[in-house]
Amino acid sequence: MDRRSFIKLTAVSGTSAALASCGNPENEIIRFVPDEDIMPGIATMKPGVCTLCASGCGLSVRMMMADADVVRNGQAGLVRIHAAKKLEGTAEHPVNHGGLCARGQAAVQVTYHPDRITQPLKRSGDRGQAKYDAISWDDAIAELVSRLDALAMAGNQKSLAFLTRHRRSHRAALVDRFLAAYGAPGAVAYELFHDDVLRRANALSFGREQLPTFDLPNARYVLSFGADFLGTWNSPTSQGHGYGLMRQGRPGIRGLFVQVESRMTQTGANADQWVPVKPGTEGVLALGLAHVIVAGKLRPASGGGRAGALIDGWSSGLGSFAPEQVETITGVAAARVERLARELAELSPSVAIVGGAPLAQSNGLFTALAVNALNSLLGSVERPGGVFFTPQINLASTAKGLSGKATASLPLDKIAAGILDGSSVPQVLLLDGANPVHAAPKGWRVREALEKVPYIVSFGQFLDETAALSDLILPDHSFLETWAEALPESGSLSAVASVAPAAMMPLHQTRGTEDLLLDVGRRLAKPLNLPWENFEALLTESVSALPTTSTFDTWTEAQEKGGWWGTLPAALTTPAAPAAQIRPFAYLEPQFDGDAGQFPLHFLPYASSAFLDGSLAHLPWLQEMPDPLTSAMWSSWIEINPTTAAKLGIRDGDIVEVASSQGTLRTAVIVSPGIAPDLVAMPAGQGHQTFTRYASGRGENPVELLAPVTEAETGSLAWAATRVRVTRVGDPDGRLILFAGGSREEEGHR
Amino acid sequence: MKWGMAVDLDRCDGCAACVTACHAENNISTVGADQASRGRAKHWIRVERYWEGEFPDVRLKFRPVMCQHCENAPCEPVCPTYASHHTADGLNAQVYNRCIGTRYCANACPYNVRFFDFFNPSWDKPLHLQLNPDVSLREVGVMEKCTFCVQRIKATTIQAKAEDRPVADGEIKPACAQACPAQALVFGDLDDPESAVSRLSRSSRGSKLLEDRGTKPAVTYLSRQS
Amino acid sequence: MSAVPSPSHGQINTDLLRPLLKTSWKFFAVVVVLGGIVVAALLAWLSQMFFGFGISGIRWPVYWGFYVTSFVFWIGISHAGTLISAILRLVDAGWRRPVTRCAEVITVFALMIGAMFPIIHLGRPWLAFWLFPYPSERLIWPNFRSPLVWDFFAINTYLTGSVLFLFLPMIPDFAVVRDKSTGLRRRIYTLLAVGWRGTPKQWHRLESAMAIMAIAIVPVAVSVHTIVSFDFSMAPVPMWQSTIFGPYFVAGAIFSGIAGLLIAMAILRRVLHLERYLHPIHFENLGKLLLVMALLWGYFVFNERLVTYYGNEPSEMAVFWRTQRESFAPLYWTMVFGNFVLPLVIMGIKRFRTITGCVIASLGVIVGMWLERFLIIVPSLGHKYLPYSYGIYRPQPVEIIIAGATFAAMALLYVLFVKIVPIISIWELKAGDHQPPDGSHPVAEKRSLREVEG
Repeated sequence: MDRRSFIKLTAVSGTSAALASCGNPENEIIRFVPDEDIMPGIATMKPGVCTLCASGCGLSVRMMMADADVVRNGQAGLVRIHAAKKLEGTAEHPVNHGGLCARGQAAVQVTYHPDRITQPLKRSGDRGQAKYDAISWDDAIAELVSRLDALAMAGNQKSLAFLTRHRRSHRAALVDRFLAAYGAPGAVAYELFHDDVLRRANALSFGREQLPTFDLPNARYVLSFGADFLGTWNSPTSQGHGYGLMRQGRPGIRGLFVQVESRMTQTGANADQWVPVKPGTEGVLALGLAHVIVAGKLRPASGGGRAGALIDGWSSGLGSFAPEQVETITGVAAARVERLARELAELSPSVAIVGGAPLAQSNGLFTALAVNALNSLLGSVERPGGVFFTPQINLASTAKGLSGKATASLPLDKIAAGILDGSSVPQVLLLDGANPVHAAPKGWRVREALEKVPYIVSFGQFLDETAALSDLILPDHSFLETWAEALPESGSLSAVASVAPAAMMPLHQTRGTEDLLLDVGRRLAKPLNLPWENFEALLTESVSALPTTSTFDTWTEAQEKGGWWGTLPAALTTPAAPAAQIRPFAYLEPQFDGDAGQFPLHFLPYASSAFLDGSLAHLPWLQEMPDPLTSAMWSSWIEINPTTAAKLGIRDGDIVEVASSQGTLRTAVIVSPGIAPDLVAMPAGQGHQTFTRYASGRGENPVELLAPVTEAETGSLAWAATRVRVTRVGDPDGRLILFAGGSREEEGHR
Repeated sequence: MKWGMAVDLDRCDGCAACVTACHAENNISTVGADQASRGRAKHWIRVERYWEGEFPDVRLKFRPVMCQHCENAPCEPVCPTYASHHTADGLNAQVYNRCIGTRYCANACPYNVRFFDFFNPSWDKPLHLQLNPDVSLREVGVMEKCTFCVQRIKATTIQAKAEDRPVADGEIKPACAQACPAQALVFGDLDDPESAVSRLSRSSRGSKLLEDRGTKPAVTYLSRQS
Repeated sequence: MSAVPSPSHGQINTDLLRPLLKTSWKFFAVVVVLGGIVVAALLAWLSQMFFGFGISGIRWPVYWGFYVTSFVFWIGISHAGTLISAILRLVDAGWRRPVTRCAEVITVFALMIGAMFPIIHLGRPWLAFWLFPYPSERLIWPNFRSPLVWDFFAINTYLTGSVLFLFLPMIPDFAVVRDKSTGLRRRIYTLLAVGWRGTPKQWHRLESAMAIMAIAIVPVAVSVHTIVSFDFSMAPVPMWQSTIFGPYFVAGAIFSGIAGLLIAMAILRRVLHLERYLHPIHFENLGKLLLVMALLWGYFVFNERLVTYYGNEPSEMAVFWRTQRESFAPLYWTMVFGNFVLPLVIMGIKRFRTITGCVIASLGVIVGMWLERFLIIVPSLGHKYLPYSYGIYRPQPVEIIIAGATFAAMALLYVLFVKIVPIISIWELKAGDHQPPDGSHPVAEKRSLREVEG
């Protein structure tokens, strides 16, 4: 072609190319989800109850069709099932009000976990080797029945033990009923962070053996002693909801919040004032505040009432708790004590919260009683903006034969001791979700004790360290595959019974433990004659006894909503216990294990946002969730104050050896400004020897360092009372995985 | 329709429920410990935390950050295949099928909210049964990020249209907003002056993140008051 | 021009055609070794596509690393040919003659290597063709607002132009080889010589074409690296949004190109025994150019840094200090030494301006310029605006192998080229000996092919 045509052609194509780049050709892009004609898959919402912690939040479960590989009657195949896809909070549920914490969001992974136990198993190798053979349900149940029959025949019913977690539910009540009918002692409950000290204190101060509920939406001033109430403590979703309203839910009114603790928790990060305090002295501070309030005539001392009477020196004006003395003991400046007290008294309604580390000291009960007295003094007990107690449904009156009492917490350490010295060895132990081998201090020698029990049966869905010692495994359904229910002891101002039918068919050959127990009860040589055919019957009976709140009958409506909530008539309520004749409590200095010379640092294991006490470490979403304070994922770490770290020659990420009187462990360091110089803190939850592919062999378990210090009255483990020594052993080795880069904003950034 | 969000930092308590809810809703694959240590974790919404001061006068602040769906998004002009583009209803859309993975958009994003799929996703069965059928899976080599749960927006707007009614304020909630216990995240139509998000965005406490970059984000942050 | 007597035309033919006609075992050894490295890189790239991009070190938020560094580096090297060939042709500098083809070859190969990287660094490289505007039912169309699309067009244009620019002067030399060979070789070179007879008309056409290309290629080259710089300056990243990036990159490109050329020339001179053709004066002249470019580079860097420092914008200053005195300081100061101090000292002092000196200075520049690209990309991306999202990049074996193998690839391509084309333009060299006194073009219409061939 000649030059002229060439130029023409170039000009034309060039121009059209240029024109094409003007305008917005992307407007013609076909969106992935077309606007018309095509409907996405249809979802159904079903009610549910989250059972990962004791809060008992109501769920709205999104269900859609999915194709699942299942095994039915020994045949593997692909079946179209109605599958749970996503968990949301139920909007009207009085505990969570539509919200759902990260753990609840991850709960759906329990049902679909690849390492779930899918069928009954019988031990084939040595105990502890975790070698099991599959057996049929008929054989499995027959085995359990024969064991129980053998025990009954020998008149040894008292040798049946049941180890579970602290939960208030119909299930727990059924277990106790089963044990009572059989002739065995009540269930033993063990959880690392169970706050029994606070329950005892509330029982003494107010006659309520339960955790408290806080009316945060109406509070103007909240003073929290160590409670991570927005993160992991008590009923976090309910408290989080209340917190949002406390701050910005009332036009023109913003509640203030002060956190008193030695290590900044996720909750403490939100405080208007953060007050560091010496471990174990929080009760002194509480009484110091009470002293100022009474001395300043901001409230009458008589306001202390029953709770105040339990404090030694209350009636005489708490003379030994003047601000200067409080400063010496707690480390909080006297002027600050005065100011806090005035704020507490003047910004009404105000309320004090206590939980977590302050109660896990040898003097924890005293601390709780002191805070209770403070609340009484402020007039915040059962008043708007203050502390309430969720009315407890008395199961003895809603379902015949059920005891209204919560599962007795016979101390696990005493049980273990009894086994080890041979004085009281259970012959058959039924294990229902507790994991003391991981979560109990080495000093109690739980593993050793369990190994002496001749026969252990586990109902758990996963093989954790404790379940790995069992001889027979009868896996329970996941909470989405069976009746899920809870009787929350806190988090709601009105009584609540969360209950929901199974959202989906069981994925595997598991069986509901409640139905299993009833079945076993029928098959015993001496049947237990429990009045219910199955768990549904029990729930129907119990819930139907509750007053209706609409045109439907209670049971139908409860299944629709995911529970019952409303005003509980007195006849169905567990009453408050009267004041007991008991001598007042005085402040005792906290006792720590390990002398200050050899072990200079306080050791604080804390409930991790992801795993709580470690029972949720098997969920991959939670492993990958960056920790709110450190952004760590899939890791363990220890938090050290910068000055202390510098003194010990430790830098961020270094590997250190942490030693207590009980042993040592090695972990990575995170240098954190939010912790006192004489304290180190480590999240609980990792360090599982066995707990599915996601948690096995990952990280370190701080419980291994804990000394078996207990609170005198309740026998609860004082898990914040151990002292340690920290020494640097090496450079960062890649075990600590952080999501974040920087941890401080640079000047001028927004 | 111009979708936007208001984040109340005075309500947010740093619990990270939004982070897990987003993973659950949007089929974000868990990358595992090894890949997480190499910086491949994909948290479409993350809760940033910043320390201020030293012990004992120390503070910690939380800030949830997700795609800001900027009106002047720097990620849009630089994508060679129009995979990152602005929709008529104010979203920054990421079309996975068009993405060839140059990752220029991620570099251009001042908020670092764009994530790359370094491997084909895999789920240990039967975790795959949890996957949300309304959200496509992303193959290796494409960029992904917060979509304001566009699948929820679409489903609700289609439903509303079928029922011949407008979408009500608060009817559409992205997974993060729905999960948040403190109700710190509010989503809605910024074109409706009476919607909750519009009213919150007009608050004197409100500001935009990195406002001086000129990106005009659709997310307003209400400052923490303490 | 030089103290050595000019070789006769026959001598020229013999010396410059020897590599084509004679092959020693050393050639095969070199090809095998270099080829092996290149194959290793190919395998690395295939495994990246097979196992997933995750085997590289790229991470949130540092999404560009070794690959983009190599991309910019090699496109930069490709500016050697342009400057030397085109500009020296335009100003009719006689000393360019033995140097032009070496330079043009570098351009073409460096471009080819550099142009691989936009594909290598893609998440889905099998879809790279979407950058080409073709009618598509799926409404796939490139976004012309994107600097990456501009890259695509600019680099392709430059590559086309450079190939033409390289090929045109080779035609008469292909004819020489054609006339001297037999059999298959003759057939191949006949094709390559595209019917060259050496007639005055053909010479006129060739000269005109080369003149047009020389004029046209300069702005193309300037625009290419400016557009490559737009990949950075169009993104709001601290220390990227600088208006100086365009000229800075172009200057840096020319700078690194000259260094590459110097090294290539030195190696050729030694290996092919071209001492009579590549004289120290050539190196010295190029060395002076290197000095000028070093000063220019230093000027641009100083400019950029001073302005940033005075601007005191927090996010920019954070990145500034990162390179100046924090984690990237060792690399930064190595770069300054290699790019500025070393060339200034060696090229600035006449005594050091020897061939060896030039090579040492050039090696320093190559290292320095590679580091400069790296230091533009990685410190900024890892340290943008929100500190929680900062990240540290660590290159992984696949990236190191591929980036390192590019040097082997360049050498391999060069070695193969030298085997099939005379590395010094024979006819231009000869034409240079016959400078007409009146300043008119040496190769006048009166010349016949036979005379040129001598």
